Amino acid sequence: MSISQLLAQYGEEYLAALLTTWKLTAICFLAAFVIGILITVMRVSPIRPLRIFAELYVQIFRNIPGASLLILLVYALPYLNILLSYFICVTIAASLIPAAFCSEYLMAGINTIAPGQIEAARSLGMTFSQTIRRVVIPQALRSSVLPLTNLLTATMLTTALASQVPMNPLDLAGLVSHINTHAVGGVMAFLISAALYCATAVVIGQIGTRIDQKVRILR
Amino acid sequence: MSSVRISARDMLYEEPGPKAKRRIRIVTGISLAALAALAAAVIHRFYITGQLDPRYWSFFARGTTWTFLGKGLLGTMEAALMAGVLAFAAGFFLMLGRISSIRLLRGLCIALIEFTRGVPTLLFIYFFFLVIPQFGIQMDAFWKISIPVAISACGVVAEVLRSGVNAVPKGQTEAALSLGMRGRSVFLKVVFPQAIRFVIPALIAELVIVVKDTTFAYVVNFPDLMQNAKVLISNYDALLSVYLVVAVIYIVINYLLNRLSDRIAAKQKKPAERRA
Amino acid sequence: MNETREPIISLRHVDKHFGALHVLKAINLDVYKGEVVVVIGPSGSGKSTLCRTINRLETIDSGEILFEGKPLPLEGKELAALRSHIGMVFQSFNLFAHMSILDNVTLGPVDVLHTPKKEAREEARRLLDRVGVLSQESKVPAQLSGGQQQRAAIARSLAMHPKVMLFDEPTSALDPEMIGEVLDVMTTLAADGMTMVVVTHEMNFARRVASRVIFMDSGSIVEEAAPDAFFTNPRTERARSFLQSIHGH
Repeated sequence: MSISQLLAQYGEEYLAALLTTWKLTAICFLAAFVIGILITVMRVSPIRPLRIFAELYVQIFRNIPGASLLILLVYALPYLNILLSYFICVTIAASLIPAAFCSEYLMAGINTIAPGQIEAARSLGMTFSQTIRRVVIPQALRSSVLPLTNLLTATMLTTALASQVPMNPLDLAGLVSHINTHAVGGVMAFLISAALYCATAVVIGQIGTRIDQKVRILR
Repeated sequence: MSSVRISARDMLYEEPGPKAKRRIRIVTGISLAALAALAAAVIHRFYITGQLDPRYWSFFARGTTWTFLGKGLLGTMEAALMAGVLAFAAGFFLMLGRISSIRLLRGLCIALIEFTRGVPTLLFIYFFFLVIPQFGIQMDAFWKISIPVAISACGVVAEVLRSGVNAVPKGQTEAALSLGMRGRSVFLKVVFPQAIRFVIPALIAELVIVVKDTTFAYVVNFPDLMQNAKVLISNYDALLSVYLVVAVIYIVINYLLNRLSDRIAAKQKKPAERRA
Repeated sequence: MNETREPIISLRHVDKHFGALHVLKAINLDVYKGEVVVVIGPSGSGKSTLCRTINRLETIDSGEILFEGKPLPLEGKELAALRSHIGMVFQSFNLFAHMSILDNVTLGPVDVLHTPKKEAREEARRLLDRVGVLSQESKVPAQLSGGQQQRAAIARSLAMHPKVMLFDEPTSALDPEMIGEVLDVMTTLAADGMTMVVVTHEMNFARRVASRVIFMDSGSIVEEAAPDAFFTNPRTERARSFLQSIHGH
């Protein structure tokens, strides 16, 4: 099909698919960020069982393939009488995995802080929560801007898992699969989705770089 | 005073006083109880749904099960290795173009790198699985999985290699040039071998992504671990246990690869620090 | 010299181990108001650790540390409140990397002492002027030279109106040409009557400014004397050989 034919026939679907991909990406990234923070709090805490649990979480979800996790959620959970919608399954899979990476980046961010600064904060008479709020979190977040924007892109790529289950509306990857199983979409059908993914990734990257330049900490 | 480097992570909490110690003990107790309850709830769930029944698990005691899974794993590894080799080759040339002095070539390579990094692997797989056959091109399932996975990885490989090349001190090139070596052989014999050493950990980490991406091999009906798992499932009517075991296999493999990468990185760091 | 005989800091029989290493051995030390106590000794002698126990950045294994006659609080808000009265200057400056120099100085007063922001800023500028880095107030630490950073760090401590200032090798990380500017600030502080505990390798500073010199070696206080007496006529063999080794190069 030519691009004009494709857009005439599937234009609206592409728009809906783009919005679905964006929506999934936003939801999953937010969830991943929140879970990532919780996991990180556990990992730095002096509570051993929580530390071990959080480390285990990170190792599992850093290393499990997305397809493997999605299959477990979609096909295995019903055997435990847990029935989740396809959308929820995709959202969970595309949140739990990035959350592990999010925690890794936040840990790296924390470790960029010179321990001496924490001692300096203590010496000024700052309490634990003041030290965390005024010295640790601002620095850890600032030095995680680039990794976190990369994570946002990676989360978007992970949401392509949605194309492996029946979803309505379809996401960008699912639409390519849909068009090509029902018609001869050709290279163009692929390229439109690819371009939309790519453009989103480039915009995310640009914004991230700009924020990073603004908040980067000179060392 | 001590020469041991303390990270900020371990500095967040002070050495606890008596009250803090008591609080830590209490919270430790509570969290232990909560985690135990969670584990119990999961096991209970398995129990009441009959998933702990030996018939779902006993066949894992048989050697044949593991040889069969092993064969699938071999398929996964073959596809992953091929994808890795292809990605490395493509990444190498993309990197050469990316650092070339020809503007047009450089621009093209930047675009290609951004493209492969910004598009999900699944989309490339659909391209090879659904679009290519529309042109009457027949392709083995092996290539239908390893090529798209390689494409998806090559942009990252190119950037990783480039960072390695940038990390090689300029003096190395100057020294080689002053020996009368030509530009191209300086790059291939002096700069690139050093660059590779710097980025081996990052390349192994990328291999983890390649292994993960090959799990999509079932999409193109390539007999990998996932595909063989399906056969086991229909033979024993045991979906949950098989997919769980398969997930664990993947996790262990990738964990070991990541460990290897960390180890090599740590080993490389040490002499560098000594020099500083 | 002493306004009162009640010491402001008092260490009684303090012991500390790092694993198998006995870093502080039965330390007894009193610091009186207005005194400048300079602690010297070879590296690894425990002098830094001693300094850091005074505001409990290092805990101790046994013994007792009193501040204004009261034992140091062990933790929590009480410990934080105590620390706000004790200024600390580190070898590596430890300015907050993400904040401007001015914000570094106002952070403590605003967050801990609840000084109004405007007031804190005025005072911070005055202090930065006093240590000679006012022109750098809107820069971040990494844009300053080591000497400037250390002077800003001193201003940050002074902004808390500390009753005592601890200096943990404040010039050891500095290039030689910057050591003087930091020592000058410290000398002025001492002249203004600040109570100071200074761990340093700067023997000339010790000689000029100290009210008392403490010589430490392998975790013990070996000698305690007035600077003149110590430098011209050390009583112990260990102090003598230490001084010789320093003058040796």
